[in-house]
Amino acid sequence: MTIMMPAADQAVLARRDTIVAALRAIVPGEGVISSAAEMLPYESDGLMAYRQPPMVVVLPDTTEQVSKVLRYCFDNGIKVVPRGSGTSLSGGALPLADAVLLGLGKFKRIREIDFDNRAVVTEPGVTNLALSQAVAHAGFYYAPDPSSQIACSIGGNVAENSGGVHCLKYGMTTNNLLGCEIVLMSGEIIKVGGKAAEPSGYDLMGIITGSEGLLGVITEVTVRILQKPETARALMIGFAEVEEAGKCVADIIGAGIIPGGMEMMDKPAIHAAEAFVHAGYPLDVEALLIIELDGPGVEVDELITRVEAIALGCGSTTCQISTSESERLLFWSGRKAAFPAVGRISPDYLCMDGTIPRAALPLVLRRMKEMSAKYGLGVANVFHAGDGNLHPLILYDANKPGELQRAEDFGADILRLCVEVGGVLTGEHGVGIEKRDLMPEMFSEIDLNQQQRLKCAFDAQGLLNPGKVFPTLHRCAELGRVHVHGGKLAFPELPRF
Amino acid sequence: MDILKVRDALDVEAAVRAAIASEQPLEIVGHGSKRMVGQPVATNAVLDLSALNAITAYEPSELILTVQAGAPVADVLSLIDSKNQQFSFEPMNTSRLLGTPDIGTIGGMIAAGLAGPRRIQAGGARDHLLGAHAVSGFGDSFKAGGKVVKNVTGYDLCKLLAGSWGTLAVMTEVTLKVMPHAESERTLLLRGLDDIKANKAMTAALGSPFDVSGAAHLPGSALRTTQGPLGEIAAADESVTLLRLEGITVSAKHRATSLATVLSAYGAAEIVEDGASAALWADIRDVVPFAADGPRALWPVWRIVCPPASGGALGQGLAKGSQGEVIYDWGGGLIWAALPPSADAQAAQLRKLVNAAGGHATLVRAPEAVRRGVDVFHPQAPGLAALGERVRNSFDPRNILNRGRMSRGPIA
Repeated sequence: MTIMMPAADQAVLARRDTIVAALRAIVPGEGVISSAAEMLPYESDGLMAYRQPPMVVVLPDTTEQVSKVLRYCFDNGIKVVPRGSGTSLSGGALPLADAVLLGLGKFKRIREIDFDNRAVVTEPGVTNLALSQAVAHAGFYYAPDPSSQIACSIGGNVAENSGGVHCLKYGMTTNNLLGCEIVLMSGEIIKVGGKAAEPSGYDLMGIITGSEGLLGVITEVTVRILQKPETARALMIGFAEVEEAGKCVADIIGAGIIPGGMEMMDKPAIHAAEAFVHAGYPLDVEALLIIELDGPGVEVDELITRVEAIALGCGSTTCQISTSESERLLFWSGRKAAFPAVGRISPDYLCMDGTIPRAALPLVLRRMKEMSAKYGLGVANVFHAGDGNLHPLILYDANKPGELQRAEDFGADILRLCVEVGGVLTGEHGVGIEKRDLMPEMFSEIDLNQQQRLKCAFDAQGLLNPGKVFPTLHRCAELGRVHVHGGKLAFPELPRF
Repeated sequence: MDILKVRDALDVEAAVRAAIASEQPLEIVGHGSKRMVGQPVATNAVLDLSALNAITAYEPSELILTVQAGAPVADVLSLIDSKNQQFSFEPMNTSRLLGTPDIGTIGGMIAAGLAGPRRIQAGGARDHLLGAHAVSGFGDSFKAGGKVVKNVTGYDLCKLLAGSWGTLAVMTEVTLKVMPHAESERTLLLRGLDDIKANKAMTAALGSPFDVSGAAHLPGSALRTTQGPLGEIAAADESVTLLRLEGITVSAKHRATSLATVLSAYGAAEIVEDGASAALWADIRDVVPFAADGPRALWPVWRIVCPPASGGALGQGLAKGSQGEVIYDWGGGLIWAALPPSADAQAAQLRKLVNAAGGHATLVRAPEAVRRGVDVFHPQAPGLAALGERVRNSFDPRNILNRGRMSRGPIA
């Protein structure tokens, strides 16, 4: 393990029995798990290179219990790590040895489906896919569709601001929420927003979304639902050069077309996926684009013609167009299985998640190739091409001494490169512990201090999910100090009117 | 009064630091087009950002625009329009409603966060602000977000800045998402529906798969005295309900026909195309029926946001109870209400109805004397209000920036 977590508080650990008993008084029966064997499933999340047993697991099933658990921890200075389904790819739900792991898995009920207001009020433990399934009979769905949608919870989606392949057209989680209920570390229950299009006052919903469990525990979510597009078709287009594929993406957007999905795979990813699912991917191309167009049939047909022409103009060497739903799904099958496909050709892999301005793609891929040679590790790339979100998969073998460290160093170099070309450290997986120590690559100390001041407004003691997102923690009192500079007007030369 | 015309972010830092030292709050101003919105700000120093007006970068194929906060909205709109792009949240131009010259800056557009009809489909200002450089009430320049469309690195401070009316930080540069203009648009017109029926028709349209990008209802009494394109489509005392479809021509046409069929129970729809349609929606966006040069110039105007399906009943009750006029946008989820003048702009009665419907109301236009006496922004539940105040405090603990603009609460 190369990322250091905050040192465990021995005084808290010494009180473990008292703490467990107090939690049992709040959440009766099986809702408190304290035996080492039973806590095993909670040791890690989707970032499986990191494991840590929690002090105790508590699984409340009412907001009131959540509030009481948090209040108890608040009063007794005990850290809390919230967890949804535990699918975070950045270690957002990694336990701490001296913290209560607060699981929301029992919050499994959809509370209200309101078709007239195009809203669903749900408990946070409901899976992303279950939400869509619950409204499918009326032709509706919930748009954000992270790859883990079968398992990931909507509460976790809010905490991480999850994306998916349809973000470019339909937005991320933050663009599809109407309201939520959160419990602050103090136990206070706060309702933000509702079924109206926007909340009153400051957009606290916006700041809670993507806050990675550091600001509050989400106990209810109101999402916006959409009518499913009438139809969807996909094109699968091969290019002999990555640059041509990149130009094709830019030209499509330049022509005013925003596809429902626009994905790119590089040669290693194409080969791994094809060997795994036999989707009929061309193996002699350097880049493959899968472009999905959705909407009314007449619109999709017309746009397919336009996209095909643009691709030809950019030098495409192959172009297949789906003519049936099963063919469309076949085109996607390789892309959707890209991670397990890479898992077949390598004992382990790290999945990175930077975003870059799309124009920088050829440069970034070239530099990544050089890094691959330098570190002696392979890399395969899948890429949300429409919005510049890159997912390099770094291949390594955890059983070989030093390889994890090398893979992590390689990954860090890739993310530094993303920032260098004008991009960001993470497009959809979150900072968590994985990119925590890289935050200074993107943000100055002043930037990070301002973010941490906001944390102080929600959790002044820093008890909620500590050790995540921020590389250095400061005391709120220190952050809140205003430095008064001498001299009443430091700029006499400014024009005054 | 001191007007500090800043030249760059360093000037802004210096001005804020000086304001901290002298305990002198600053009013933050671009062109000042929306200065009359909000609680009156108590200060005698103005920080003028209008000289910070450069276009930093525009990358049409990346869908990204970076501009300084003082850039004129009109210039920026014509620049992106030249590349066939737009801000798809359709920012409102408040000049007609507030009776100001047609001015305004990008910073003001984001700080006010007033999205137009397409909000129901494309989201609001907050959904299109990708990154910002700003100076906090600590006098420090900080960066929020990034310059790419997909980013979850750190807290999403941009969401807070949009709609914060300059009370958290002074934005000096913003990065915005731009989107292509639709090739065509079609608007379905339904005539003679009452507010409740219109609300149902709009709900049916928004629940259809036809991707409606505008759903508005204008009662006959509000339309009767309206000048311009909206007035021209009005027949005597008849209401008009409008539903917009945008996209490539073949699709907009197809969906217009399909939607007309779905809504046939509400009457036969007329179809308005392209330029004529755009002119209607521009006037709905800008609330022209209640324009400051019209017959209701002296009436206070409220902006009410509520669950869309309850808008019809809320608006109807409000209009009856107050002898006022309402118009509906966002399928009923946005109600603009012009009410006959009174000492409190009828705030007490209006907020009672709005609260019962699960909505909130902002007094967008009223004389200063009235605004001094009422909560311009909707009062919140105590816990939420306290959290909001702690958030404000985390950006500006000395309450230097637009002090008291969003809240009549006790001042630190």
